[in-house]
Amino acid sequence: MAFESGGEPQILFQLDGVTKSYGAVTALDDLSVTVPPGAVGLLGPNGSGKTTMIRTLLGLIPVDAGSGQILGMDFLHRQLKIRREVGFAPENECLFPAVQGVQFVAYAGELVGMRSKDAMQRAHEVLDYVGLGEARYRKVETYSTGMKQRLKLASAIVHDPRLLILDEPTNGMDPDGRQDVLQLCRDLSHNKGMSLLFSSHLLPDVEAVCDHIVVLGSGKLLAQGNIQQLKQVHNQCFEVRVKAGAETFAQGLSALGCSIEARDDILLVQIPEGRSPQMLWQAAAEQKQQIRYLRSQRSTLEEVFLKALEQK
Amino acid sequence: MCSEPFGKIAGPAEVRPIVAFHEVSKWYGNVIGLNKLTIQIPAGVTGLLGPNGAGKSTLLQLATGQLYPSQGTVRVLGQPVWNNPSLNRCIGLCPEQDAFYEWMTGWDFLYTSARLGGLSRPDARDATGRTLDAVGMTTHKGRAIRGYSKGMRQRIKIAQALVHGPQVLFLDEPMAGTDPVARRALMDIIQRLGSEGKSVVVSSHVLHEVQSLTPNIILLNRGRLLAEGQVRQIRDLIDKHPHHIVLVCDASRKLASRLVSWDDVEGIRMLPGGKALMVETRSPDAFYGRLPQLSFEDGTEIKEVYSDDDNLEAVFKYLVNK
Amino acid sequence: MPIFDQGYQHWSGQMSGRAWRWLAVTRQGIRGGLKNRFLRYVLFAAWVPALALVLMLCMWGLLERRSSLASTFIQYMSLLQPGVVADPQHYRADIWRLSYGYFLQIELRFSMVLILLVGPNLISQDLRFNALPLYFSRPLRRIDYFLGKLGVILAFLGMVVIVPSIVAYVLGLLFSLDITIVRDTFAILLASVAYGLIIAFSAGLLILALSAMSRNSRYVALCWVAIWLISGIVGTVLQAVDSQQRRYAYYSQISVARPNGRDFDNLPRAERDKQWRAYRQAREKATEEYRIAELGFSAHDWRPLVSYTANLSRLGQQLLGTDQTWKKLSLLDPDQNARDLLLATYMGPQYPWYWSAGVLTGLFGLSACVLNLSVKSLDRLK
Repeated sequence: MAFESGGEPQILFQLDGVTKSYGAVTALDDLSVTVPPGAVGLLGPNGSGKTTMIRTLLGLIPVDAGSGQILGMDFLHRQLKIRREVGFAPENECLFPAVQGVQFVAYAGELVGMRSKDAMQRAHEVLDYVGLGEARYRKVETYSTGMKQRLKLASAIVHDPRLLILDEPTNGMDPDGRQDVLQLCRDLSHNKGMSLLFSSHLLPDVEAVCDHIVVLGSGKLLAQGNIQQLKQVHNQCFEVRVKAGAETFAQGLSALGCSIEARDDILLVQIPEGRSPQMLWQAAAEQKQQIRYLRSQRSTLEEVFLKALEQK
Repeated sequence: MCSEPFGKIAGPAEVRPIVAFHEVSKWYGNVIGLNKLTIQIPAGVTGLLGPNGAGKSTLLQLATGQLYPSQGTVRVLGQPVWNNPSLNRCIGLCPEQDAFYEWMTGWDFLYTSARLGGLSRPDARDATGRTLDAVGMTTHKGRAIRGYSKGMRQRIKIAQALVHGPQVLFLDEPMAGTDPVARRALMDIIQRLGSEGKSVVVSSHVLHEVQSLTPNIILLNRGRLLAEGQVRQIRDLIDKHPHHIVLVCDASRKLASRLVSWDDVEGIRMLPGGKALMVETRSPDAFYGRLPQLSFEDGTEIKEVYSDDDNLEAVFKYLVNK
Repeated sequence: MPIFDQGYQHWSGQMSGRAWRWLAVTRQGIRGGLKNRFLRYVLFAAWVPALALVLMLCMWGLLERRSSLASTFIQYMSLLQPGVVADPQHYRADIWRLSYGYFLQIELRFSMVLILLVGPNLISQDLRFNALPLYFSRPLRRIDYFLGKLGVILAFLGMVVIVPSIVAYVLGLLFSLDITIVRDTFAILLASVAYGLIIAFSAGLLILALSAMSRNSRYVALCWVAIWLISGIVGTVLQAVDSQQRRYAYYSQISVARPNGRDFDNLPRAERDKQWRAYRQAREKATEEYRIAELGFSAHDWRPLVSYTANLSRLGQQLLGTDQTWKKLSLLDPDQNARDLLLATYMGPQYPWYWSAGVLTGLFGLSACVLNLSVKSLDRLK
């Protein structure tokens, strides 16, 4: 078992040499990965096996080879028990037809095995949390996309799972709704002790919610690790933006021994060894420039992702 | 006329690509779609933003001639767009809905679109090949569309908008469902089209994508024009919310005590971690001007400075939510 | 603490056992079905034959006790069947059997209508709204899902067939105040309940299989109408065409010729009438012989098997044993010919019941295979 004596699992899920093919197409190719609990992002280009991996974790599909466990339960044999502890919000639009919102969530709970009274009480509680107020008494077919996504999220957490798997949860939502859903995900994973597996193509969303990422490509594991550790900090490199006259500023800096690279309206400045960013301020003061943006250069999650893909 | 097949370098255009709405209103029964909208969309990439129900799809449908305005006039490239099929050769539309002839292959579909766009047979063949290459669908061109994944369908949709080389492009959620690799490729295409002098309107809910494409935006709310222009300029105009500027410094409290003595600083908040503070000010220009001096006063070396509400998300939130 | 956390709360409560998971699906299906107002009307209307059955059984009980309450009824029945009224206890089981037989025939038709109203949406709506990922990502096996959906059909058909049968039985028992009735008629109750279950399982699985094949419930409803009505029509037409041939064979064997020709027209009126009468009598006799022979012929006739509802009623006929009842009742008439005619008129088709059972079992198996193939687990679902 993967539990410590204190009861906290050290491993969220673990796959060992899992292989799954659909005919000629290999979806998962000898995949081995161990993931710690918390908020985990699942990244990968289309066709990399993310959906197959999620289905394997839920115990929904038989695998050709390999084994693994999720929340301490073997996914080859304890499939129904796994689904009791895991909540899943699928990517495509899916509804139980012709019911009210609150009936939808209560039914979702009953299907997990909750008693109908418990399910109804819990449905209301969870709908308050996701922010569906009076709309819960309307039929689900009348909901907008944002409301349907929240409803899906509510139905995934109604039975209080230990792991919540979300597949593109912010698809089609307007910016406000997106912020709300990301806020809910962050709250669930950081404050309420629920582990999260967040699969999305929108890297800033993943960065906003998750601490740890797993990158898949062509069924193999390309990279995994803590986001902050994967994003390398370049010690002597800085991103600088000035109010006006970037070229003159750049010339002034290169005269001082820095190497400059211009990207859009940002200058990537590498200052010589042993100097501190104070020299940039001095240069700005001399040239009467306003530095409006100054940060250490860090790779973005997109760069981490693309680099991981290239290493394939 | 106005279109060269995709991939060929366009010659100097005689007419600057402009989409012009003049006091356009559109309602459906009693429900308002657009309310007295006057706007001119220049060449280059422009982002079209707004919450749900703001009128973005109405605007796109009016601009492509699918709807007739209840009031006002819509002109594209100087001509009225309603009932003007020849103008459609200069317009490309990538709609949000997903509807194809599922039995066609990608190549067939694109070739048909090219021919419908007015290209001759050899031109259409060339354009189809080049466009498929540009969107990265060359390997899948022989497969029927019903077998495509969501990302592939999206790329074919964009390809059909590009293939006849239009001068004005309307893209509604072009990157929905695409993975980051395809997204980068599509963003490159859009930026290249913008720099070629074409007018590209990108409507999207994903604000960070629009931000990386272009600083020019149009913000709609409840069918009315809320803001138009560059993000930073709009931010400067928002009086109600002072600018938030984050300073990272080892001696943050000492820095704070210095800053408090400035008149234009309206508030200072210490951020968790002890090394950073956030300053609220209504005159960012003056503030930034004094920063370099502040940095080399004793011991308060500023390591990082950035504004965390100088971006599209913040502007959107401030304007829409009031 | 005066301020309570409004955020997400954890929950740990008791779960119901896995064996009852299908009940949640059934409850949801029943709720959905009852929203349909036509369904409610049909359910209401389906209880009218049940009332008639109750009335018949209670009246018979009163007749047995020679109670004054049933005097008009007794008078009416004495006119029709004096032999039966004279010895009601002897014929008790038979009357009950016939009453149940007619009741079940009517309720069979109502069942088909109910299935038309509630059945098509069961799985095809889930397919249309893509609800299957929501179902199967929960601890729900496919068998639970199917049992749950079948339970909806079972519930509605139970409401119109099984529950009225039991209620009518109990009320009939109370009105006759004679406990020996149970000895005679308990088999009828069992047969009727078994028949209800057979209809529910066979038709239920069939409509589920049809519903799983299409996203559009209109096509499914059309298929059901085809299976129910059109197969019935086809079976009847086949039978009619075949038996008409035999009927004309009988007619062709009549010794008396059909009056025709110029010679006939020249005859005096009395003579013409006499010949016509002779001809008609010969024809009637031939028709009677034909009908009696048909009963024997139906023992080998496979044509009724084409009709789905005919298969179900054949099994019902076998379970209830209405054929024996008619044979017993026919003994009241001294004339052999009249007896045979009565049997020929009232008895159902005589082909072996296991043919129908075979057809229904085959359909059952086919439905199960189709269900298995069309509702796959999430392995192949997008």
